[in-house]
Amino acid sequence: MPLVMVVDDDQDLAEMLSIVLTGAGMEVDLVNRGDLVMDLFNTNPPDLVLLDVMLPGIDGIEVCKIIREKSMVPIVMLTAKGDTQDVVLGLEAGADDYMIKPFKPQELVARINTRLRRNTKVGTLTIADLVIDQMEHKVLKNNKEIALTRLEFDLLAALAKEPGRVFTREILLSEVWGYQHAADTRLVNVHVQRLRSKIESDADNPEYVLTVRGVGYKAGSTKI
Amino acid sequence: MLGIKFKQSLSFKIIFIIIITCIAITSIIGLTVYQRVSSTIINEKIAISKVESSNALNVAQSHFNIARFQGDTGLNKAVEDFIASSREDGSISGRETVILPISNSNKKLNIFQTVPSLLVLNSIPREFRDQVRNSKDVLEKKVTIYYSNGKKYPGFLIGGTLNIPKSGAYEIYYLFKLNAQYQSIATIAWTLTLAGFLLVLLIALSTRFLLRRVIAPVQQAAEVAERFTQGDLSSRMVISSEDEMASLGNSFNEMASSIQQQIDRLENLSMLQQRFVSDVSHELRTPLTTLRMAAEVIYEGKASFDPNVARSSELLINQIDRFELLLSDLLEVSRFDAEAASLGIVSFDLNYLVRKTVDYLHPSKSSLFDISAPPEAVNIEGDARRIERILRNLISNAIDHSKGNRIEIQIKESENEVSVGVRDHGLGFEEKDAPYLFDRFWRADPSRARTSGGTGLGLSIALEDTKLHQGQLLAWGRPNQGAHFVLTLPKQHGNSVQSFPINLEPTDSNFKNIK
Repeated sequence: MPLVMVVDDDQDLAEMLSIVLTGAGMEVDLVNRGDLVMDLFNTNPPDLVLLDVMLPGIDGIEVCKIIREKSMVPIVMLTAKGDTQDVVLGLEAGADDYMIKPFKPQELVARINTRLRRNTKVGTLTIADLVIDQMEHKVLKNNKEIALTRLEFDLLAALAKEPGRVFTREILLSEVWGYQHAADTRLVNVHVQRLRSKIESDADNPEYVLTVRGVGYKAGSTKI
Repeated sequence: MLGIKFKQSLSFKIIFIIIITCIAITSIIGLTVYQRVSSTIINEKIAISKVESSNALNVAQSHFNIARFQGDTGLNKAVEDFIASSREDGSISGRETVILPISNSNKKLNIFQTVPSLLVLNSIPREFRDQVRNSKDVLEKKVTIYYSNGKKYPGFLIGGTLNIPKSGAYEIYYLFKLNAQYQSIATIAWTLTLAGFLLVLLIALSTRFLLRRVIAPVQQAAEVAERFTQGDLSSRMVISSEDEMASLGNSFNEMASSIQQQIDRLENLSMLQQRFVSDVSHELRTPLTTLRMAAEVIYEGKASFDPNVARSSELLINQIDRFELLLSDLLEVSRFDAEAASLGIVSFDLNYLVRKTVDYLHPSKSSLFDISAPPEAVNIEGDARRIERILRNLISNAIDHSKGNRIEIQIKESENEVSVGVRDHGLGFEEKDAPYLFDRFWRADPSRARTSGGTGLGLSIALEDTKLHQGQLLAWGRPNQGAHFVLTLPKQHGNSVQSFPINLEPTDSNFKNIK
């Protein structure tokens, strides 16, 4: 059973989340303060973190940064504010996805399941000198492994699978994040930036993940 | 150019008027002084010369009278002495002496006659000579003295008669040149003109200086007021003296401070109020999330419930949906109030967006709609999400009020604008209600049951969204004839609406009336 760490200071909401998630077949750890997250995280590493933005101790965005320093675990932020600033800050801090309160429980479970899904496939993809091992979930550049979050790996793999095809942000949102309806395209922009900062030699002149102006993104051409 | 400056600048106007007045006054004074002085100088000279000349003539006459008894030689000598001394005196004072015999007298003696060599005798007018001959007194007259070498001088004549015994009557004329006097007068005129000019200049400069001191604070006040109007509430006048102008500045600054305080207070109040609405909306979200999840969990298990409990769980879910909608609408409204709404401008096909919205609202009942649109794409610039929200509001509004009648959606474009008309044939509304339709939480008939799940904010938000695009959203309605909402947007973002491709009054309304 996957272990989900729920970080929320609202006890009733935390309990309700745990009821819903347990009902969906997950194990739940509850934490009600931002500064207590890492203690539990170290002793009992979760498969996914559900993180509220407003927290006593350290706020959710800080917690997100601290977790990202040592782990590639999927993080989903819970925010009461749909406001641009908060969402962008959360994504830049390393969150994979976010949910705006109030959300429907089915939606939350679906979103968590997408993040937990390990779509292990056989085969190796390449973009230029970048080797993407789908079996091992590894990305190698010059035989050195690059640590990517699962979401970043999925994003890169999705692009590499069909070299030359231009993916719109909407298509990526549905293929990588599992959104059924149109959602916030900033999710894609922020994660492409994060991915580039890890794999590209020069993030301003990318060679692996290219922007197609006004349309979306595509994988860089494979050199022979 | 001068006219514009005259109208615009108070100081220019004042200086201009003062200069004109000064010139007039100095001219009048100068001219008066000049005339007085010049006439005094000339007349004095004439009067003195006249007295002197008549004295000299009297003396000469008495000499001649005495000399007649000394014989001809004595008389001749006396006459010649007189002529010589007259000339001699004249060479110093610039006086010319002319002695002419009065004709037809005794011719047996010497006829004395002397005329200076270069003098033109016509300098003595004939009429004056006639007057002198017929008068016993010494006479004077202003004349121009001509010389045969072409020179001429202003001057005057003094004429009298002499009786030389045994010879007869003679006219004697003294010609005085006045050029020295006129030169002095010219010098005085020049001095007067120069003094007048200097006076005008001095007055103009000092007026300008004074005006500057008076007007500078006024100009500064105007500049500060201008900046104040443009929103710089912190601008104040600089006060450097303690006179009336300083009190103007002080009053002005006090007024500015008071206005600034009022504005700050109002801004604070409205900011607090907006913050409050926004905070409330946010704070409500967490309990609402718990509520929703709890309700969903209960709803999941409704199969095992008593029918009343099961129905209750359904109602609970519906009301939570409605509550959530209301909350997000409230938050949107508070964003508009805080002017924090941002536009994400993209280019898109409005035709496609309308169809997508219709499909989204009524996927199964698309036969409810008659859509007439141009066959090709209608591309416009705008925030697609907001425009979709406007359309969704208008169309769902029409669905709610159409009583099941068909709804006509029309898209029409002109060169720079595009209109979307949504016409329903349902309940409609009173003409007088049209202005309130877009008010928050407004209801046409408060007693009427609310059938729709609308929040009461939909049209208000639609109008705000339209305004953000500098578009127009207008409504037409008649009771039981339905309503017609027309959204008109500029095709290019930043332009405003100049024409309306769709008329607000629906073309079928007259037809309906007759029916």
